[in-house]
Amino acid sequence: MNPAEIRITAEPIDTGRCKFVVSEPVHAGGVRRFASSDDASGSPLAEAIFAIPDADVAEVIVSGNLVTVVKRGPAPWQTVGKAVGQAIRAVLAAAGPAVAPKSAGPATPGTDDDALYERVADLFESQVNPMVARHGGRVELIDVQDAVVMVRMAGGCQGCGMADVTLRQGIEAMLQQHVPDVKGVVDITDHAAGSNPYFAAAKK
Amino acid sequence: MPRQSVPRLLLLLPTATYRTAAFVEAARRLGVDLTVASERASTFQDANPGGLVTLDLSDPDRAAAQARAFGHEHPLQGVVGVDDDTAVVAAAIADTLGLRGNAVVAARAARDKHEQRTLLTAAGVPVPRFTLYRVDDDARQLAAGVSYPCVLKPLRLAASRGVIRADTPEAFVAAFERVRRILERAGCETRDASVSTDLVSRIPHPASRSILVEDFVPGPEVALEGLLVAGQLQVLALFDKPDPLDGPYFEETIYVTPSRLPADAQRAVAACAERAAAALGLREGPVHAELRVNSRGPWLIELAARPIGGRCSGALRFEIRERGKGNGETFSLEEIVIRHALGMELPVLERERQASGVMMIPVPGAGVLREVRGVDAARSVTLVEEVAITAHPGQELVPWPEGARYPGFIFARGASPEAVETALRAAHRQLQFVLV
Repeated sequence: MNPAEIRITAEPIDTGRCKFVVSEPVHAGGVRRFASSDDASGSPLAEAIFAIPDADVAEVIVSGNLVTVVKRGPAPWQTVGKAVGQAIRAVLAAAGPAVAPKSAGPATPGTDDDALYERVADLFESQVNPMVARHGGRVELIDVQDAVVMVRMAGGCQGCGMADVTLRQGIEAMLQQHVPDVKGVVDITDHAAGSNPYFAAAKK
Repeated sequence: MPRQSVPRLLLLLPTATYRTAAFVEAARRLGVDLTVASERASTFQDANPGGLVTLDLSDPDRAAAQARAFGHEHPLQGVVGVDDDTAVVAAAIADTLGLRGNAVVAARAARDKHEQRTLLTAAGVPVPRFTLYRVDDDARQLAAGVSYPCVLKPLRLAASRGVIRADTPEAFVAAFERVRRILERAGCETRDASVSTDLVSRIPHPASRSILVEDFVPGPEVALEGLLVAGQLQVLALFDKPDPLDGPYFEETIYVTPSRLPADAQRAVAACAERAAAALGLREGPVHAELRVNSRGPWLIELAARPIGGRCSGALRFEIRERGKGNGETFSLEEIVIRHALGMELPVLERERQASGVMMIPVPGAGVLREVRGVDAARSVTLVEEVAITAHPGQELVPWPEGARYPGFIFARGASPEAVETALRAAHRQLQFVLV
């Protein structure tokens, strides 16, 4: 693959988080989350992103053609984003997978992501999705890794001006109540592509 | 830590605001308990009764009574409004619950352009000469008595919607009729919203039937972002608006800070804004003021008891400096606003050293958005940090003065305001909006 043909769109969420939408699939085997450089070992893309100087990368999540990077460092996304883009291009141009398959069994002693997945999936099916469906929305459970739940919003939720309220005050609060072993929830939605948001924003 | 030591913030978020993500994430970073109040019920409200509540944001007194009832079950330590309307609601709630905030009468005065100008004039704050007319007045008769150039303004619409300059009697008559139609349409929009929410119109009857006409004040315009603490104005940022806002419509484009005005002019702007806040009776919380500067000094054009609108707060970052250097820790404007509302320590009120700017992307024309091309190229422009397209495919784009919704925002940071402004313009040139 010619790296010059790969198009990457950076979508900063805030100073700490940024999504990169890639024109080519990066990882077809579900979602992989890397919470440290040790986790990243064996996955060239995650290794490269954790190695970016001054970014102090805390987390990398790869799913399909989306790469979400969480950083602690003060370096702006303008700088870090370009380094992430270079890493993505370099890894996709090389032979071999960008991300290693998820290993079997719990990643962290004491957690059982498969069991958590079942409980979260049940909650989503029985309560979360019937609620968001009232606004034409849908929330997909993508994966659970190290007790962190990854979701993707669709329908009226995708691009909705109140999506963060739904995520934090709705979904996360329900997870804390019903599945307290969950440590966090990450939204990997490409909200910019939402074509039918339930609430659209005006300036003030 | 005992659970009861975590303060609870009531955040007033209208469903049409751009401010959701910035405020919700700021509350999370601060670790406060958050209750989000909107005018329409979240589908999760029953599942999280402490975290979500519906308030009648069109009626501050009713919203305050609803908040008081809510507070019996979930005691509140602070309240924040994010826009013009919810600033008044926040004041009413703060008054009812004894929380930090402005007097309701002060917040209402800031919300109403005519009342604001009346109070500012009485206090000797320089404002354009103004007159209030009713929409059913005879525009042709009025045109003969107006001095030109003048600016026609609805009293309560946001984002310069319906603001039109007229240089001649003929232009005045046409503009008057156009503003009248915009007000009628705005009234229809709010009545439509009320069908499903049992709300009354968000525009009270007298405001929707009035048009303010004021002298056009020449000169460059600036925007001041500040925080009032016990009546003292802390200037958080002063933005230049390098594109001339001479009309006939007043769609915003670029904001860049720090200002390139001379230091004495900047001090005069800050002093004018502080006098204006005092004249309105504002004492606590964020203020966003827009002023013009000419040979006669600063002129107060608008002052609002809220933070900067849209997603523009993304251009502001605050940092603690030790021996002149940042220690790497940064704070958002929303964190400062929430800390102040809750009475938490304010560790920093100094903006970062870098120049910063935002462009509210101009509406490229009337039509339905099909796609936006060139976003990658815009993002690759040196100094550009973010290009956020907030319009979605299929959305109708409406130019000013009827419109009030930007299709997106561009952010840049750099060593100088000039470099930032150049980067914003270069990034904008890369964008191509495809409309049908």
